[in-house]
Amino acid sequence: MYRIALKMLMGDRGKYLGIIMGLTFASLIMTQQPAIFVGLIMRSYSFITDLGLPDIWVMDPEVQWVDDIKPLQDTELYRVRGVAGVAWAMPLYKGLLKARLPNGMFQTCIVVGLDDATLVGGPPRMVEGRLADLRRADAVIIDIDGAREKLSQPPAVPGGKRIELKIGDTLELNDHRAVIAGFSKNTRTILSQPVLYTTYSRAKQFAPRERKMLSFILAKAKPGEALADLTRRIRTTTGLAAYSREEFMGVTFRYFLKNTGIPINFGVSVMLGFIVGAAIAGQTFYSFTRENLRQFGVLKAMGTSNWTLLRMILLQATLVGMIGYGLGVGLTSLFGWAMRNTILAFKFPWYLLLFSGIGVTLICAFAALISIRRVITLEPAVVFKS
Amino acid sequence: MFTRYLLPLLALAGFLFGLYMVVTGNKPTPVAEPVAQPAQAPFESFIAGSGLVEARSENIAIGTPLPGVVTRVAVKAGERVKAGQILFELDDREARAEEGVRRAATARARAGVEEAAASLKEAAILLQLAESVDDRRAISLEELERRRNAHAIARSRLDSAKAQVGQAEAELTAVRTTLVRLRVRALIDGEVLKVNVHPGEFAMAGVTNLPLLVLGNLTELRIRVDIDENDAWRFRKEAKAVAYLRGNRDLKTELSFAYVEPYVIPKRSLTGDSTERVDTRVLQVLYRFDPSQLAAYVGQQMDVFIEAPDMIPQTAADGPPDTRVLP
Amino acid sequence: MGADKDLAVHCRGVLKTYGTGEAMVTALQGVDLEVRQGELMMLVGPSGCGKTTLISVMAGILDQSDGDCRVFGQDLMHLRNHAKLAFRARNIGFVFQAYNLLPTLTAAENVTVPLLINGMGRKEALKKAEQVLEQVGLGARTRSLPSQLSGGQQQRVAIARAIIHEPRLIVCDEPTSALDHETGHKVMELLKGIALRRDRTLVIVTHDARIFEFADRIAEMDDGRVIRIVTNSSQLH
Repeated sequence: MYRIALKMLMGDRGKYLGIIMGLTFASLIMTQQPAIFVGLIMRSYSFITDLGLPDIWVMDPEVQWVDDIKPLQDTELYRVRGVAGVAWAMPLYKGLLKARLPNGMFQTCIVVGLDDATLVGGPPRMVEGRLADLRRADAVIIDIDGAREKLSQPPAVPGGKRIELKIGDTLELNDHRAVIAGFSKNTRTILSQPVLYTTYSRAKQFAPRERKMLSFILAKAKPGEALADLTRRIRTTTGLAAYSREEFMGVTFRYFLKNTGIPINFGVSVMLGFIVGAAIAGQTFYSFTRENLRQFGVLKAMGTSNWTLLRMILLQATLVGMIGYGLGVGLTSLFGWAMRNTILAFKFPWYLLLFSGIGVTLICAFAALISIRRVITLEPAVVFKS
Repeated sequence: MFTRYLLPLLALAGFLFGLYMVVTGNKPTPVAEPVAQPAQAPFESFIAGSGLVEARSENIAIGTPLPGVVTRVAVKAGERVKAGQILFELDDREARAEEGVRRAATARARAGVEEAAASLKEAAILLQLAESVDDRRAISLEELERRRNAHAIARSRLDSAKAQVGQAEAELTAVRTTLVRLRVRALIDGEVLKVNVHPGEFAMAGVTNLPLLVLGNLTELRIRVDIDENDAWRFRKEAKAVAYLRGNRDLKTELSFAYVEPYVIPKRSLTGDSTERVDTRVLQVLYRFDPSQLAAYVGQQMDVFIEAPDMIPQTAADGPPDTRVLP
Repeated sequence: MGADKDLAVHCRGVLKTYGTGEAMVTALQGVDLEVRQGELMMLVGPSGCGKTTLISVMAGILDQSDGDCRVFGQDLMHLRNHAKLAFRARNIGFVFQAYNLLPTLTAAENVTVPLLINGMGRKEALKKAEQVLEQVGLGARTRSLPSQLSGGQQQRVAIARAIIHEPRLIVCDEPTSALDHETGHKVMELLKGIALRRDRTLVIVTHDARIFEFADRIAEMDDGRVIRIVTNSSQLH
């Protein structure tokens, strides 16, 4: 009987493809849009994810998210170091500076200053050069995407290739000379500004004079130390805000939720995808069932039980659901794969698979439910009416 | 065919591709290892501070009393010097010329004395002759008075000439002192830490931003530790202290307490920048360590940990901040 | 009881109403009818006389409002739903005016449906379906879709479907009205030749006078009642 159900479904090509298209579309929207959303949100705290070594970020209590820099006094670093349970604590400068390119153009860059001795907080991957090259005079490391895009110069001849920065090229940062010592691969930030790494003391020289320069203190807990206890201890001892990495990501994430329209926009398009997908797929599935009502009646007259019919419809719904879901996920992945090297934010975590899976299941359940209701209440006597 | 097999196959392929993307797209970001391992305190609870290595005698910034062009630098950086040894010399041509002038003036003054003495002698003889004549008619009284006066004048002229010799000699001595002052000498036994003057450069007198020469006694190194004023109350003189060399946490040394400067000063940032930014005040504590234990250079920064009681203020900060974790 | 044993269908005072109150329509007003086993019984009458309702009750797909209707001695109305379904699946074959073949299944697959409902394996059912199609003269078209067959061929497939599970009663609703005279004739010959056996009863609803000659007995109905039963078509009109 299941075979018959499948044949009934697939035999009507137009409707079958219509249902699958609807579900594919719904699944695509419900996967691709959240993927872009997740990608954007992850970019908002990519600076934190890229900095894997420290457990704890210490900052001014007023800091709302990772780009909201409220600098600290330099001696706070030693106070944090003095908190029991802290294995080490390192300074980190983070600020926006204008870089002047050799051709005279300006570009705002994120400048990150790492502790001079240890260079804790370096970029996750080096494409060219080594992190230790930062110890050379005036050395900076630039993220490769920034170097290829925002920091590249227009071609010398019209239609030629853009001139990219090379190791050894110099930039001007706030009238200071900076020599490119290497290229790193970073996760893009939300505003896609180029990221420039240098040492803490050099960053302080590059930066305009301010009374306080210390943006963050990166701390590592001693082995076996509970992070929650340690952050509380740092807070009570120093009066600063201390977050674990995950907490700081959460702080940044919630800032975005609360203060930008991004989540609502994406929520709306996901909702629309769900509704349109549900409408197309549900409507087509239902009209398919209605068209086959006579045949269900025949089967019912010939002695097929409601339970069998129900399972047949569920099978049909499951099949179109699975195909639509698979195609939608595949298209999303294809989209992500095609866009992997572009500026587009796209992140495909496992829970999105689950999310769109649940969405498609809901649509199919809804479509199957109205069809099943119709078939169950069907009087088999209709078969004699022509 | 298409609907029956291809679509489900496509869907399966799509789902598998999705899984692949999930697996490959969500690899954890690699963790950048630090170039050098950060120093870790060997104590359960401690005060952390940054320390600056200095000489036992503190770092003596040598200056010159007189401005001038440097003609010779007698020592090299790293050289040991004894007290009294010449460090560098300034241009002394002007002083030497002056010395010649003064010496000539002295000679001339001496000649003046002789001349005055001869005059006095002559006046004395003339006076004696006149006085030895008993016949009042042979020499008038007037003549006699005149000779007496001439003798007295000649005598005071001699005194004056002698005084001029003294003056000229004093002036010569002054020029010679200047000559000595143009040679700057070490006042203690020690080591030349830094030479900032070179022959031909003009050395300013007084306190300069960049000392002409830095001298220090390196028989024992000291480390000056800045302790934040907020942590100062936790400091104990008898507490154990350890210093780590930056860049290699295996290089460390035990410190022994030297003294504490009981005067809290504004912290100087150690960037070497000429315009220093003051953001807090620090208590400076000095520790000593044996230079043979740790090859540290004067002026090097070190991470210092001083054992201290762990006393968290009982009044907790107003409510813990938002610590919820990402969903 | 002895007489009952030979009866395929035994209706006494079968009453069927649709709706309630003002809108109540009475379709059957107390039908008494006996159909013997191995008999080809035709139900004739004007439109709306209750023929279709009557065979629906006989086939067990409609419950009468009152009266008693036994099929092979079974009171279908008082059977549990499950048992009724099983009874229908095993004992009743259907032939419809509009053929009601599943358009997406091939002829052979359509024929297997009753076997599948009865729980037979697919391969076995297909083999049997091909045999039966051979019997109805469609051995060459087993893989054709209904849309590729002519009306007569489709009805022959429907007949094959109605007989494949060896039912004891086949109900046919206007099996020939959609066909031209000649084809209708052939279909009736087939029904009479293959479907009708000593242990199998056919009840055919029709108002196609051209096929009355195939009937063993003809029950004429009007206004929800059987008004007379004749054994020869010439007795009508």
